[in-house]
Amino acid sequence: METNSPSKGFTIPIGPQHPALKEPGFFKFVVDGEVITGASVRLGYAHRGIEKAAEQRNWVQDLYLIERICGICSHIHALAYCLAVEQLANVQAPPRAQAIRTLVAEMERIHSHLLWMGVSAHEAGFDTLFMFAWRDRERIMDMLESLTGNRVNYSANLLGGVKFDVDAAQAQSIRSGLDYLEERIRHYQDVVTHDEMFLQRTRGIGVMTRSLAEVMGAVGPTARASNVPRDLRATAPYAAYSQFPVKMILDTRGDLEARFEVRLEELLESIRLIRVILNGLPESELTIRLPRRIPAGETVVRLEAPRGEVFYFIKSNGTDKPERLKIRTPTICNMNSVVRLAVGHQLADAPMILAGIDPCFSCNDRMVEVSKVKDGSEHSMTWQELRQYGIDYYRRLSK
Amino acid sequence: MKPILTIITLWLFPSGLFLLTAGLLYQWFDRKLLALLQNRIGPRWFQPFADTFKLLSKEEIIPEGVNSFLFIGLPVVALAGALTAALYVPMAGLAPSYGFSGDLIVVLYLLSLLTLCTGLAGTNTLDRFSLIGATRALTQLFSYEAPFLLALLGPAMVAGSWQIGTITAYAQTHWLILTQPLGFIVALIGLMGKLELPPFDAPEAHTEIVAGALTEYSGRGLALFNLGRAVELVVGLTLISAFYLGGLSNPLWFLVKTLALLFIIVGLQALLTRLRIDQTVGMWWRYGTLLVLVQWFVMILV
Amino acid sequence: MGVFGTMFGDISSSLFRRPATEKYPSERREAPLKLRGLFHLKVEACTGCGLCAMDCPADAIQVTMLDRKTKRFALNYHIDRCTFCGQCIESCNRDAISMASDEWELAALNKTSFLIHFGNSTDAEQSVAGTPEGGTAKPEHD
Repeated sequence: METNSPSKGFTIPIGPQHPALKEPGFFKFVVDGEVITGASVRLGYAHRGIEKAAEQRNWVQDLYLIERICGICSHIHALAYCLAVEQLANVQAPPRAQAIRTLVAEMERIHSHLLWMGVSAHEAGFDTLFMFAWRDRERIMDMLESLTGNRVNYSANLLGGVKFDVDAAQAQSIRSGLDYLEERIRHYQDVVTHDEMFLQRTRGIGVMTRSLAEVMGAVGPTARASNVPRDLRATAPYAAYSQFPVKMILDTRGDLEARFEVRLEELLESIRLIRVILNGLPESELTIRLPRRIPAGETVVRLEAPRGEVFYFIKSNGTDKPERLKIRTPTICNMNSVVRLAVGHQLADAPMILAGIDPCFSCNDRMVEVSKVKDGSEHSMTWQELRQYGIDYYRRLSK
Repeated sequence: MKPILTIITLWLFPSGLFLLTAGLLYQWFDRKLLALLQNRIGPRWFQPFADTFKLLSKEEIIPEGVNSFLFIGLPVVALAGALTAALYVPMAGLAPSYGFSGDLIVVLYLLSLLTLCTGLAGTNTLDRFSLIGATRALTQLFSYEAPFLLALLGPAMVAGSWQIGTITAYAQTHWLILTQPLGFIVALIGLMGKLELPPFDAPEAHTEIVAGALTEYSGRGLALFNLGRAVELVVGLTLISAFYLGGLSNPLWFLVKTLALLFIIVGLQALLTRLRIDQTVGMWWRYGTLLVLVQWFVMILV
Repeated sequence: MGVFGTMFGDISSSLFRRPATEKYPSERREAPLKLRGLFHLKVEACTGCGLCAMDCPADAIQVTMLDRKTKRFALNYHIDRCTFCGQCIESCNRDAISMASDEWELAALNKTSFLIHFGNSTDAEQSVAGTPEGGTAKPEHD
């Protein structure tokens, strides 16, 4: 490591391994004392080649592969995949299955936001809120376990429906769990908006105006905290959201405190929605049969994950394996805003700004083809060429 | 007889082995109570001992580009400073082993020696995290040192002496927490700043700068720094409870009063968020100094 | 200007409450009924059709049909490959598969216990073709 002369600036690397990050990602902050003067990000450490691997497994096996892209938003990925395949096969899952899928999606949203709140509090140094939020997260995970069979990676979806039903006793236990959670969440709302020392770390930090949010393409609660009305559950309803509508939660301030408030309000909205769904589950069968070979075609599905908009493109060529699967997750849309907003803040605010977008690095690593050739032609590599390219790249680095 | 007594004083009791053991036990109390406040089980009583032994048995990696003499020597100096400071305070409720007029200043300096050594250790290495951690540690030192010193001088003023033994004897008849409450608050929070406990743990904020100034330390050096911190905890608590909570007349009172103070400190740790370094400095130079000056004003008038 | 110490109520009541930590393994909670635990096969209901093996995303099930007329088959199940997703239960159209909700502590110190044989043939153990013993081998896809 060479020492940097003051005129060049001093680079602080956050990542790839760092206690602030729960998953690997590389952020380079150029600081002057404690003030950040430049930032850049490099991702790709959690790339597993899922899109390629999906092309070599059949449609049923791919459902479980897709579910494991991310642990916290696994149900949404599986749901998007199922909806896309059902669109290709031109079938509609029965209403009760759609309602149960929505139910599990909202419970996953609760789980995700509670996890996020704990992690953000930990980045700020408020460990007590972290511990209490995660203790309450155990409650929702237990509810999910008794409903679906697993605490994470619920495997609730089947191509054409869901795997299980919700009976009256289970609905009752979910309701009592929701009562407990609602009380705790209202308490956390109170804490987050009134605790003076916590507000000193969140109020006025990382302010993103509405125009900046629209230019950067921010999605999810990050955008809604800057008054950008993007919520696919309300604007483009899927699954059972047209039957059980959701209120969009907006906030005009755009700083970290606004992001906290938006997510906490969304938690309460999810609780309300689950209660409505439990009271109004339509009666029907649970699955519908899907052929083994899905008819050829292309389809696009957009869903609202806890972090924002998830985009799926699936192309089928009529066989029992997909031809191309393209996934675009919300974190990659929000990542640019971190780099842009961090400049001008203090170094201690950088982990907080990063936590404010709710990053999920394992979701967001995909291969992007950038054509470097100046005449606009495309350059593609075969599997073997790509492998050799990687080997040569690292050999050059280690010289 | 005298050499044997000196050896026992320096090596066994009240300094040396007793102090190290007491320091680690107080650290355990801190961690266990914090865990209970956060609704979880904490570590068992021997956890800090196990940590220390484990660290002492690991390899000490000396990074490239450091001055090895400083790298190895600074932890030793830090621990030595903390252990020496204990000789002048009423440890375990007994009278201080050594004392001379003006030893209050010496003790405060010896306690700051630990922070200075941490800062030097951080600037010694070429690691960026250490440099930022060292900068923050020294900045924090400049911010809380003045109010903390003034808060401890309050009892010295009313007792009319700069010797800890005399002040403690005076404090045994006057409960200074009642007559100088603001000074007590500043001293207590100043102790949290000195020990780098949350909310003042910006110098070792592990979600921002890994481990601050001690990032590159491992094995023996880290063990010695941790022991120094533990000893500093006990010495600081003894000092403040001796001055403000009515002196320490016997070991039982020592235990009760220092643990009561530790209880309050742990409660504050659990309640408050970490402050950024500029917020820390701002808070101390505004509210800290203001409070202690008001206290002095009142004290001089009355 | 806000308030200091908003979580005071939480931490003071925590002192008088049991810790939220479950002291596993001395305390063990009941697993819910729907928990997806260890795979079980009802051998008399199974016909050896192999739909479960075709759909398993982790190649944890391998089925060999030994004699179609007498319906003798051998089925190998690898615990260490299984992801406990439950697709096999759905794929089977004879309800032969179930997942035990009380067997979820499946860690072991050697790999031989991770391979379970099911089957209605006496030579079931040698008959399953192409099985690497104790398999953590990569599934043959590429």
